[in-house]
Amino acid sequence: MSEEEKKEPQESGTAEAGEQAKQKTAEAEADPEKAAKLKAAAEARAARAAAKAAAEAAEAAEASAPPAPSPKQPELDAAAALIRREVADEALEEVYINELNGHMPTIIVKNDYWRSIAELLKIENDLTYLRNVSGVDYETHLEVVYHLVSLQSGRELTVKVKADREKPEVSSATPVWATANWNEREIYDLLGIVFTGHPDLRRIMMPDDWVGHPLRKDYEPLDSEV
Amino acid sequence: MIRTEELLLNVGPQHPSTHGVFRIVVKLDGEVITEATPVMGYLHRGTEKLAEQLNYTQIIPYTDRMDYVSAMTNNYVLVHAVETMMGLEVPERAEFMRLIVMELQRVASHLVWWGTYLLDIGAMSPFLYAFRDRETIINLFNELCGARLTYNYMRVGGVKWDAPPGWIDKVSEFIPYMEGKLREYDKLVSGNEIFLARIKGIGKYDAATAIDYGLSGANLRCTGVDWDLRKAEPYSLYSRFEFDVPLGQNGDCYDRYRIRLEEISQSLRILKQAIAQFPSGGETMGKVPRAIRPPAGEVYTRIESPRGEIGCHIVSKGKAEPYRLKFRRPSFVNLQILPKLLIGETMTNLITILGGVDIVVGEVDC
Amino acid sequence: MKGLFRGLGVTLKAMTSPKVTTSYPDVPFEMPDRFRGIQHFIPELCIVCNQCARICPTDCITLTGKPNPDPEKRGKVIDTFDINFEICILCDLCTEVCPTEAIVMTNHFELSAFSRDDLFKDAQWLTDNNTLVRKDNNNIGAPAKGGAK
Repeated sequence: MSEEEKKEPQESGTAEAGEQAKQKTAEAEADPEKAAKLKAAAEARAARAAAKAAAEAAEAAEASAPPAPSPKQPELDAAAALIRREVADEALEEVYINELNGHMPTIIVKNDYWRSIAELLKIENDLTYLRNVSGVDYETHLEVVYHLVSLQSGRELTVKVKADREKPEVSSATPVWATANWNEREIYDLLGIVFTGHPDLRRIMMPDDWVGHPLRKDYEPLDSEV
Repeated sequence: MIRTEELLLNVGPQHPSTHGVFRIVVKLDGEVITEATPVMGYLHRGTEKLAEQLNYTQIIPYTDRMDYVSAMTNNYVLVHAVETMMGLEVPERAEFMRLIVMELQRVASHLVWWGTYLLDIGAMSPFLYAFRDRETIINLFNELCGARLTYNYMRVGGVKWDAPPGWIDKVSEFIPYMEGKLREYDKLVSGNEIFLARIKGIGKYDAATAIDYGLSGANLRCTGVDWDLRKAEPYSLYSRFEFDVPLGQNGDCYDRYRIRLEEISQSLRILKQAIAQFPSGGETMGKVPRAIRPPAGEVYTRIESPRGEIGCHIVSKGKAEPYRLKFRRPSFVNLQILPKLLIGETMTNLITILGGVDIVVGEVDC
Repeated sequence: MKGLFRGLGVTLKAMTSPKVTTSYPDVPFEMPDRFRGIQHFIPELCIVCNQCARICPTDCITLTGKPNPDPEKRGKVIDTFDINFEICILCDLCTEVCPTEAIVMTNHFELSAFSRDDLFKDAQWLTDNNTLVRKDNNNIGAPAKGGAK
């Protein structure tokens, strides 16, 4: 992945260098030595560009072949099938493998079914340990991410629930996993997502009479230097 | 007529035994607690919001200040998350330096915990002994990276400083010294009848509760659940070394105490093996691009800090700054069980239980 | 009772072991070479590349440059260079990215002042602060020059 990024600055570098080279050839026509050097440099650049084009063609050929299936794909399919069977067919919005994160199976569920899916995952699928609950503010919507793990088998699953920006509501997972209690309070405090069914939803980090939700992207701080 | 009332007591933000600015509002019936509500946020510095405007190298000094007693593990979780996202390889010598430093940090953090826990319970000498030994470790870190508490040592792709000449020998001299000291501390405290009477059987909970509440670290292992991230989801070079994970059975404060002391001796064992296998040469930084721009996506990595599972959830949009950076702090999650454990306990046991959970308020508030 | 007496034995033995207390502040505390104390600035080496101001996590460095008074040489020369020591966290990222090592750390850490004005260090003070300068600066292992953004 880092190699692809390195290629981008090189491309722009060669474009700029090309323009500079045109200027220099105009100046250097008077000077034959300089002209020879510039010619050599231009040839080297052409050779590099040709090599790069060949490499890119090879990569494109590789990429067009289908990527190897992820090793965690069967786990993901089993979990998705379980949810579709027990809860509802349309409960799952999206199912994919997050390759960046060590091939973590990820599912996106609809909020209406989240509570029943949570109970299902804990009891049937043995995902008893909720590691982390994070809230993310994408500018179009808000999202809550739950990271689950099974202590017996080491299996992992990430569940995401989307929420509207105007009236963000997500069913609370606290009745299922008690550890979600303070995590969800923190997300309510900092992002403003209301968790329906939470036993005690109030601010945890900010003072109780604070107005606004600091972690949102459109938050205006009281003190502009902060 | 005598009338009894419930007393609302504020174990206020300024208190020598709450390990930082942390407040518990306690309802007392005589001396027995009927309800306890922790109130936190006095040390909230908005690290997660600040991180959205800083690039990854600039966030590293901020991570030092979260769990300030164990700063090396904080550095590592951030750096490890970025390296996982970018697929960077860290050279072997750098990885060894990171592991040695993290295990030394674990010993130092458990020494702080031990000293302050016994000070809360009432013993004055172990505090000074623990800090004397911690001073040796802190001086080693001072020679290595120039700071005693906020190291800013790890970088994406490696570490900043290589070991100065003679440093590894000093670490290997420290190990037998510390092992001798651990035996002394055992003699000093662990047989003490008053101490045992204050600790045994206090703050009990079972494995199902611990898993439900998402506890980690010694708080989870005291119930017998064998879950240590260094063994269960190995990161860095831990799979190369042999060490045991101490487990408890009863789930009370005494088991947590014994597990943490045993973890110190296991850390010393790992250090001995790491120094024996230390590579003689090598780079301290891998091949890192000039601008650190992880590809778009998200990642959640976690490591075992002395307090439990510390995790870092990064959502990146391909820029040099993270789009959202969230830290899963072990002290924050471990503290949730406190209101449940305190019901029916006396005030003296509040301090014992709170100390046994091992929190650092910088981490609770982030 | 036996446990109590064993513990007492340890404490009594500690009475005879060598003392580890140092008599700071009567005896100055020797810091190792790599210690990150307040910075020392060398204006002749500065090329006004602005890397230190950009990398500073707390934005405490402000600097301005002026065109080189010597008409032969190109580039800028440093005009003012301030470090707001109230917010400097001594992280030494500025020394890490400086391509010419114009800014380096020293071993001075006793910097309390009675007024906040004293904490705003300007170029003159930083240049004069040239004792106990750190020798091991951009060592083995720092990222390539101009590394981080």
